[in-house]
Amino acid sequence: MISELKEDILKLLNDISSGISNSKTTSELENIRINSLGKKGSITLYLKNIKDFDIETKKEIGAYLNDIKNKINKLIQDKKNFFNKEHLKQKLKSEKIDVSLTPYEAEMGTLHPLSRTIEELCAIFADMGFSIVDGPDIESDYYNFTALNIPEEHPARQEHDTFYLQPDINGQRKVLRTHTSPVQIRTMEKIDLKNFDEIRYIIPGRTYRSDHDATHSPMFHQCEGLVLGKNMNMGHLKGCLIEFCRTYFNQDNLPVRFRPSYFPFTEPSAEVDIGCTKENDGSLVIGKGEEWLEILGSGMVHPRVLQGVGIDPRKYQGFAFGMGLERLTMLKYGIPDLRPFYDSDLRWLKHYGFIPVDNPSLHFGLNGVFS
Amino acid sequence: MKFTWKWLLDHLETDKDLSEILETLPKLGLEVASIVNLAEDLKSFISVEIVDVKRHPNADKLNVCKVFDGKNTFSVVCGAPNVKLGMKSVFANIGTFIPGLKLKLKKGKIRGEESFGMLCSEKELTLSEKHDGIIELDSSSVLGLSVTDIMHLNDPIIEIEITPNRGDCLGVRGIARDLAAAGMGNLKDLEFEVNNGEFDSIINWHVDLDEDQKYLCPKIFGRSFTNIKNVESPLWLKNRLIAVDQRPISSLVDITNYIMIDIGRPLHAYDIDKIKGKTLRITKSKKDDKFFALNGNTYELDENMLVISDEQGVDDLAGIMGGERTGVTKDTTRMFLEAAIFDPVSIANTGRKLNLNSDARYRFERGLDYNSPEIAMHYAAEMVNKICGGKFSKIVNYKLEPKNKIINFEPNIIYQLTGVKIENKLSKSILEKLGFKIVSEDNIWEIVPPTWRPDIDGVADIVEEIVRINGYEKIPSIKLSRSNYIAKPAMSTKHRQAFFASRILASRGYNEVITFSFLNKIMAKQFNGGGLALNLVNPISSELTDMRPSIIPNLLLAVQKNVNIGIQDLSFFEAGPIFKGDSPEEQIITITGIRYGYKTKKDWQKEAAQFDFYDIKLDVIKALNVIGIPKNSLKIFQDAPNYFHPGRSAVFKIGQNVIANFGEIHPEIVNNFGLNKSAIGFEIFYENIPMPKRNKISRPMLKISNLQPVTREFAFLLDEEIDSERVCQVVKSIYKDLITDVTILDIYKGEKIPKDMKSIAIKVTIQPVQETLTDTVLEEISTNLINAIVSKLSGSLREI
Repeated sequence: MISELKEDILKLLNDISSGISNSKTTSELENIRINSLGKKGSITLYLKNIKDFDIETKKEIGAYLNDIKNKINKLIQDKKNFFNKEHLKQKLKSEKIDVSLTPYEAEMGTLHPLSRTIEELCAIFADMGFSIVDGPDIESDYYNFTALNIPEEHPARQEHDTFYLQPDINGQRKVLRTHTSPVQIRTMEKIDLKNFDEIRYIIPGRTYRSDHDATHSPMFHQCEGLVLGKNMNMGHLKGCLIEFCRTYFNQDNLPVRFRPSYFPFTEPSAEVDIGCTKENDGSLVIGKGEEWLEILGSGMVHPRVLQGVGIDPRKYQGFAFGMGLERLTMLKYGIPDLRPFYDSDLRWLKHYGFIPVDNPSLHFGLNGVFS
Repeated sequence: MKFTWKWLLDHLETDKDLSEILETLPKLGLEVASIVNLAEDLKSFISVEIVDVKRHPNADKLNVCKVFDGKNTFSVVCGAPNVKLGMKSVFANIGTFIPGLKLKLKKGKIRGEESFGMLCSEKELTLSEKHDGIIELDSSSVLGLSVTDIMHLNDPIIEIEITPNRGDCLGVRGIARDLAAAGMGNLKDLEFEVNNGEFDSIINWHVDLDEDQKYLCPKIFGRSFTNIKNVESPLWLKNRLIAVDQRPISSLVDITNYIMIDIGRPLHAYDIDKIKGKTLRITKSKKDDKFFALNGNTYELDENMLVISDEQGVDDLAGIMGGERTGVTKDTTRMFLEAAIFDPVSIANTGRKLNLNSDARYRFERGLDYNSPEIAMHYAAEMVNKICGGKFSKIVNYKLEPKNKIINFEPNIIYQLTGVKIENKLSKSILEKLGFKIVSEDNIWEIVPPTWRPDIDGVADIVEEIVRINGYEKIPSIKLSRSNYIAKPAMSTKHRQAFFASRILASRGYNEVITFSFLNKIMAKQFNGGGLALNLVNPISSELTDMRPSIIPNLLLAVQKNVNIGIQDLSFFEAGPIFKGDSPEEQIITITGIRYGYKTKKDWQKEAAQFDFYDIKLDVIKALNVIGIPKNSLKIFQDAPNYFHPGRSAVFKIGQNVIANFGEIHPEIVNNFGLNKSAIGFEIFYENIPMPKRNKISRPMLKISNLQPVTREFAFLLDEEIDSERVCQVVKSIYKDLITDVTILDIYKGEKIPKDMKSIAIKVTIQPVQETLTDTVLEEISTNLINAIVSKLSGSLREI
């Protein structure tokens, strides 16, 4: 009797499981579940009927039916999972898009190569303890010349091609600063000698000379440097500027030459040359070769300049230097021509400019690798 | 300053070769600008004799010549008028590069006659500008030799840059002296015979200056020459002058020029027969004095210019240029020669006022050797005598006793100032070779600089002389380490603000430009500038006359330039100065930007859209946010300057300070730049931003709520003139702690609501702080919120 019953149930199970495996939709599957395990389902009916059997049979068939019920549940669940996966597959397939398309978005802008150079200079000199100061573009004759030991009749004045503004009611005419050096005077005037130990400044900025041709622009940029202390000597000047040149041009062994020169506001004075080679096409390769290229002027601050701002040259001494930023930029980044610096040609700006996320610093590097 | 190698060797006895000298010059501060060796260019030009001259069959002005170089005969077509049989000249064979024509000679037919080379003029050899005939060589010239040997051209020309302090190196002798001091040989003695002359000078000096003005002419020497012939100078002299760009004129002029280059001593030669009277008067010009100079120009003199006059009037501008009237000519037989010392400042001022430059002025301004007039008198006399014959007189002179300049020098200063240790013995030897006299030799040296170094006037100058000759390469390189223990920021807050704002703008699509600080007057005025104080006296062009009052016009120009080359969509910014006046406080650093054209292009995804006011407003807010201004602290006003569109521009202020102007640029202005779309711009005055107060590095404790925020939406009917942002402000103000955000969802004007009204829909975010808000509380908030809009903005809740 039990075995007959089991046989019937097993047959039923086989029918149900082949129904499950043949089912094509979730609703079909749901029908099978209702027909087998639902309130009036075939398996449920067997479960209801076993109450008429003796206790032994009831026990055995009951357990057997429960087992069967679990099996069916599992088969249905597996099939459901299968349907879900299939469904998702279909859905994803239908959601396919054309990845070859790219929507339009305005490009990121660029920073001007001159700003870049100024920031590189700041990074290099900051490491040597310098800070940045500014001064006005419109200067009095006094700051631009006289205080720098360039009196009116001085031959050096003729080399400056100065722009003059209209004279005021007293006949005084201001000038557009011809160099960043007047800021030396302005910063030294502010020194409180009672609490003075040392200053180290760099002064990048706009400068002006009335000259306009392929290699001169009426407006250009310089960076001035000023170090003043008790024991700052020409050896420090040399160390500071060699470190600058080598760091800026990223060459450990860049040849740097100091050559006697003359500036009215420094004594002794030195021009600084770096080693380079001139290629046949006229371009310059920095760092090796026979030729020397002048890149900056420097010297020990002239005692008369110090006296002029009330500093005793026997107690304090220091050095100053100045360099043309366009030239430095052109040399480092291979920019052949000066004039486009101020021409705002978008093609030039994008080609020679720098991306804004590339902050020049000693630890990121100073060479604009991703730009 | 140009000189030749052989000229240098007249003064320098040396076993060094040219390349060693060229290497040494820059180490002394004498920068080599160029080195030219004519011999290299001209070595294949040879001497020939013209052995046959026949008229060209097809051309009247041409001849067919046969020339003989000692071995071969060549047929040459020649157009020179001076060609004649038996003449010796300079010949260039086929294949020779002709420097004056910048071409390589090819075999060719000239009007049907074959020519196998060329007979050359001085111009073709770059010897001079002379081109009226071929060169005629001396009849004794050997045939077939290179002209560089025959014409003594085998002498490299060296050009060096002389810094303004080194007047002494504006003569070859000064350069030789520096080289000798640097161990490059020995300075030869200047060879001349001292001859005091046979007769009294025909012309005399009269220094007609007040006692306190005598310093203007501390020294003047002269002597007369008679029976001289002002012939053409000898070839060697002409060649030297040509080499250094001095045009040979006549021997008297050439000799004065030669001595100027040779020992740096300008001289002036008068024709005695043209001087009115017997006295030359050194005096100051009077107003309206006229002076007809040797260069052919007439100058109207000012008061107080130092001049030399005869009885007729001014005919020499002391130290700058002689006069045409009394100058020497080819017919001169009696000459008066002047060598003086004049005050450099006076010369510089006069030269500058008259805008008159000369080789003499150049040297006088830089200071001359106080002893040079005596030397020049003898040196020149000997040379004139050799070349022009005749006799010369005794010297007439006037001189003040020079003040002896003594500099007290502690040798230790060399180390203190330069970090290089130099033995005292070496320092002294260097100074002595340069002509310095060391008077006493204790711990303090009393140093007298040589008369040819008027630039030396202090201890630092002497240090430079010693260190320069010793070699700058011997100065140690000392690492400049930070003096502070910790690194300090190099940038001030203001610099950082510009740095950060620039980066934000560039990452939002702006390209940084740098434009000129000046522009034309029309633009300056359009942007409320163009005042007299900011107008340039000497602009380089009429487009660059005024300091800019705003960067916007510069950026509009930038847009215009790019539009003209076909680039249509542009965003530029510049961080730079603008000028409200000529004092330092009136120079303001701004960050100014312009956007022009389309921000999005039409594509498969979206429609094209042009930049508008709101794009710029966001740019400004984002830039201000990164430089320390929270969004809420800005107040918006509608009083932007007149170069903005009155209805589409605004101003952000903090208190009274304008932080930014922004909006559409006035269409009229944009139109003036030839631009047909609207340009939107901003100016950020970040210097007006108050410095951030926070001086603690650590930040206040973060307070966050774990309770869910609740949102409620409302729509109000309002007068359309009310700023929409006011609704948000009012809503926020009633529950400052609870209401964290108010967003405008929609603004509607149209048929569904009354005229002159607008509907504003907002979403309010309420963030419970301590406990979840009950419905009752939320209801209360809503009611208060609606009441506030009703009472403060006369609005009403709109039923949706």
